[in-house]
Amino acid sequence: MQTDPLSATFSALADPTRRAILARLALGETSVSELAEPFDMSLPAVSKHLKVLERAGLIARGREAQWRPCRIEPRALMGVDRWLEEYRQLWEARLDRLDDYLREFQSKEKKRGRKK
Amino acid sequence: MVGKNDVPEFVIEREFSAPRELVWKCWTDAKRLARWWVPGQFSWGGATLDLRVGGMFHYCMRWPDGRDMWGKFVYHEIVAPERLVFVSSSSDKDGGITRAPWFADWPLEVLNTLVLHDAGAKTKMRLSAHPINANDAELKRFVMAQPGMSQGFGGVFKQLDQLLVDG
Repeated sequence: MQTDPLSATFSALADPTRRAILARLALGETSVSELAEPFDMSLPAVSKHLKVLERAGLIARGREAQWRPCRIEPRALMGVDRWLEEYRQLWEARLDRLDDYLREFQSKEKKRGRKK
Repeated sequence: MVGKNDVPEFVIEREFSAPRELVWKCWTDAKRLARWWVPGQFSWGGATLDLRVGGMFHYCMRWPDGRDMWGKFVYHEIVAPERLVFVSSSSDKDGGITRAPWFADWPLEVLNTLVLHDAGAKTKMRLSAHPINANDAELKRFVMAQPGMSQGFGGVFKQLDQLLVDG
């Protein structure tokens, strides 16, 4: 099975709690217990979410200190932005062509209708 | 930045001056897809289209120098003329999934949902999409929820049972 980092990132981001954790980490690195505070969630539950985020490359956890600070890793999010941007360009162009084709096809139909 | 309420998803919306049935045909008929699907630098290298759940649209794009590139959709949900859910990917000429050449982290497979609405004589279109991994629980749940697909698997198992009995 080929690895697909972007699909792992998207599936990690699909969960609102994980997005909230990222939004908190965007303000600066913090500990797991501090992260758990606003969520009304047990530490193991938060740790589970952090593992998913870490596997998706969205956060990193420090090894240097006992409290293993969590911080956001911007690179994975940049990958998301880049794909969204490229996919938009692809579709904008494609849908422009569809629009042109629909106009062309309908004007031909109209002309044909008049001739009858 | 990622906000709590932003579900990360690609969304594009358009309005076409055409009736919904015609827009639907443009999406589901290979002859019409040939007219708009591939970018201008390519020519159309032919396609097969099997519009049913589990069926495939498999198309070929030809570079000016004659090299061929393939892509495909696999249909997951079809509600004419309003809703089409499909997984798109780059492919080889036999329909096997390949890595897209655009850039290294381009997703292997993307789950796309197309919705068409009437807006007077016009048609509103909304396409949403996100990368998906075929191993994802999400996709499995989705596929298994389709009556056609579970029957399909059931059929396979029935055949297998028969083979085992015959064997």
